[in-house]
Amino acid sequence: MTSAQLEIQLIASLVAIACAIPGTFLVLRKMALISDAISHSILPGLVIGFFITHDLGSPLLIIMAALSGVITVVLVEFIQKTKLVKEDTAIGLVFPAMFSIGVILISKNANDIHLDTDVVLLGELAFAPFDRLLIDGMDFGPKSLWTIGVILLITLSLLFAFFKELKISTFDAGLATALGFSPVVLHYGLMSVASVTTVGAFDAVGAILVVALMIAPAATAYLLTDNLKKMLLLSVFFGVFSAISGYWLAHWLDASISGSMTTVLGMVFLLVYLFAPKRGLFSVLYRNKQQQVEVSLLTFLLHLNNHTEKSERHINHLNEHINWQKVRSKSVVDLALRNNMITIDKNIISLTEKGKSFTDKAIDYIITNDDSKIESIKEDFFLFRG
Amino acid sequence: MSFTEYFELLFNDYTLRTISLGTAILGAICGMLGSFAVLRKQSLLGDAISHAALPGIAIAFLITGTKETNVLLIGALISGLIGAFWIRGITRRTHLKSDTALGLILSIFFGFGMLLLTYIQKQPNANQAGLDKFLFGQAATLLARDVWFMATVTLVCLLVLLLFWKEFKILLFDADYAKTLGFNTKMIDILITSFIVLAIVLGLQTVGVVLMSAMLLAPAAAARQWTNSLGIMVVLAAVFGATSGVVGTAISASQNNLSTGPVIVLVAATFVILSFIFSPSRGLLFRQIRFIKNRKDLQLHKTLAFMFDIAKSHENISHPHAVKILNNFHGYTKKSLSKLEDKEYIRVEGLMWEMTEKGYDFALNLYNQQVEEND
Repeated sequence: MTSAQLEIQLIASLVAIACAIPGTFLVLRKMALISDAISHSILPGLVIGFFITHDLGSPLLIIMAALSGVITVVLVEFIQKTKLVKEDTAIGLVFPAMFSIGVILISKNANDIHLDTDVVLLGELAFAPFDRLLIDGMDFGPKSLWTIGVILLITLSLLFAFFKELKISTFDAGLATALGFSPVVLHYGLMSVASVTTVGAFDAVGAILVVALMIAPAATAYLLTDNLKKMLLLSVFFGVFSAISGYWLAHWLDASISGSMTTVLGMVFLLVYLFAPKRGLFSVLYRNKQQQVEVSLLTFLLHLNNHTEKSERHINHLNEHINWQKVRSKSVVDLALRNNMITIDKNIISLTEKGKSFTDKAIDYIITNDDSKIESIKEDFFLFRG
Repeated sequence: MSFTEYFELLFNDYTLRTISLGTAILGAICGMLGSFAVLRKQSLLGDAISHAALPGIAIAFLITGTKETNVLLIGALISGLIGAFWIRGITRRTHLKSDTALGLILSIFFGFGMLLLTYIQKQPNANQAGLDKFLFGQAATLLARDVWFMATVTLVCLLVLLLFWKEFKILLFDADYAKTLGFNTKMIDILITSFIVLAIVLGLQTVGVVLMSAMLLAPAAAARQWTNSLGIMVVLAAVFGATSGVVGTAISASQNNLSTGPVIVLVAATFVILSFIFSPSRGLLFRQIRFIKNRKDLQLHKTLAFMFDIAKSHENISHPHAVKILNNFHGYTKKSLSKLEDKEYIRVEGLMWEMTEKGYDFALNLYNQQVEEND
């Protein structure tokens, strides 16, 4: 591993961490798409900044870009406040317009500008180590490492300073206001951090990867935990993991680094989406199946409870009466038998003591719809768990 | 090239005519289907799907090795559909919200697509150039064949829309009701989502992945401001879309170095801004005017109510009183006084005013019933 490779991975990891932190809050606040909007609409800011300074490395570029990010947020909120369109429409209207302005500015001045729209979308992480910070001829490492390092430092210190405020205002905006934290300040603070991070990261990894790095790790972590601190740590972990393995994937395929980082993020999300212990697709489907069986069982027991006459309780009658398929009724009857809820005597089904008391409790719950009633059933039987 | 020249060329020049026709059809179909997306609060679905279509294009190229637009668009269609239904899956099966799902699918698919594109670029065969036209779109590459294809799809889409109009409408405004009526809401939902994906894929070649969502949204959002009827909104959105397509093409053709996609988007955005401001019922301008007018009416009524209180204590309601007793606090200004006089609620003679019969009746009923507006 050469030092350039090491530097690329270091930059990528720092970007991943810097993005994961605001990303977590954006996902929790249901504002994930604002990162998409910001990443597109910083383009005109960048271009205008470049017109003024004619230097791609100038800090004015970052300031202008961050400013146009914040302007986007303000515009989106202004349109939302007019109530003329829905919130998401407001986002969808603002950023393509801003991006178009940027693209037109670039293409009109294509001759004297070294901005390429491809670079804007993709970034050039591979070249990052060649743009070095030189002070008095001393080599202090790649410039983007410093940029993103400073941004990360600011983000981290803001996170530690305002963790409590952020947490409360994210989960209970009303309480936060009542306690005297200004939701406006926190909101715009978060938006500014997101803007600055987007701009800083975007230089290295491009507009789209910034969005991926903000949303994907946080979304993946959210499938695994409900705890904010754990979620932050997990998303940082996923971000760094994909940054490093994405680099090696790109190295192996000889393709875009940011593209392959995103791909790894996607695969990690897919795995978690399918296999997460509680929220994963498979466990959700399994649980739905389970609940379906349990509800069927309950229906079946209630039916038995309602009918004393033998003809209604004949095993063959059930198929037509409750309108179930044969297999399903058989599995339900088996389940009830296994749990000693029913007895079958010459094809006539009757409730046992246990089944009777269970059914009574269930009826009680259905009538009163009182949560306390269900508690005892939960403990006694498998039915209402989870 | 000036505009008149452009319109002359439009009838003579084959390429320009094709492109203008193409962007107009595209704008119309996007406006039509976009109306549904906007009303279903799926505005950003278009953005996600258009980004999600990118890997499909790359994979279609990798498999077939051709740059035939239709083949690539089929790839785009498939991966767009996968993206759209994965978004549905995420929002339904997990507790992640739709914004997260959209952003996630958008960025991941796009990143994967870019990975494939850069991978293709490094391949030894030189046939790969030009795939990136799908990023920003190149209306100039539209052929008559493409336009015919677009027109056919638009026609099919229009037919389906008319055929299932009732179902679409009811699903849009009251999904639960639609379900209780026995409509297969899932199928209708899938149908409408598929058509939105189709429209997006059609537009990729012209305006590109990044700006496609605006094509879908902007005409619909503009049309929404002018009407409360779905039918009118769909037609209006189609008109707005087609107009922005044609005007955008005209502007970009009249200048050098101006790509069509962004210009069309900006024209559509102009429509939105104009609609936001000037729409008679919802627009900001008229809203403000109404607001000011209501405030003035309130002032007027305040003065009148005060006068009424004085007048009713006299036997003759038209007993004259001094203007002096009115003051600012009661909403009195010279203007409001003359306005009241104009409406014949009072008569002013010198420094005295007296209430008329009409004014007395009006004031009596001011808070009792809805008095018809007469101005």
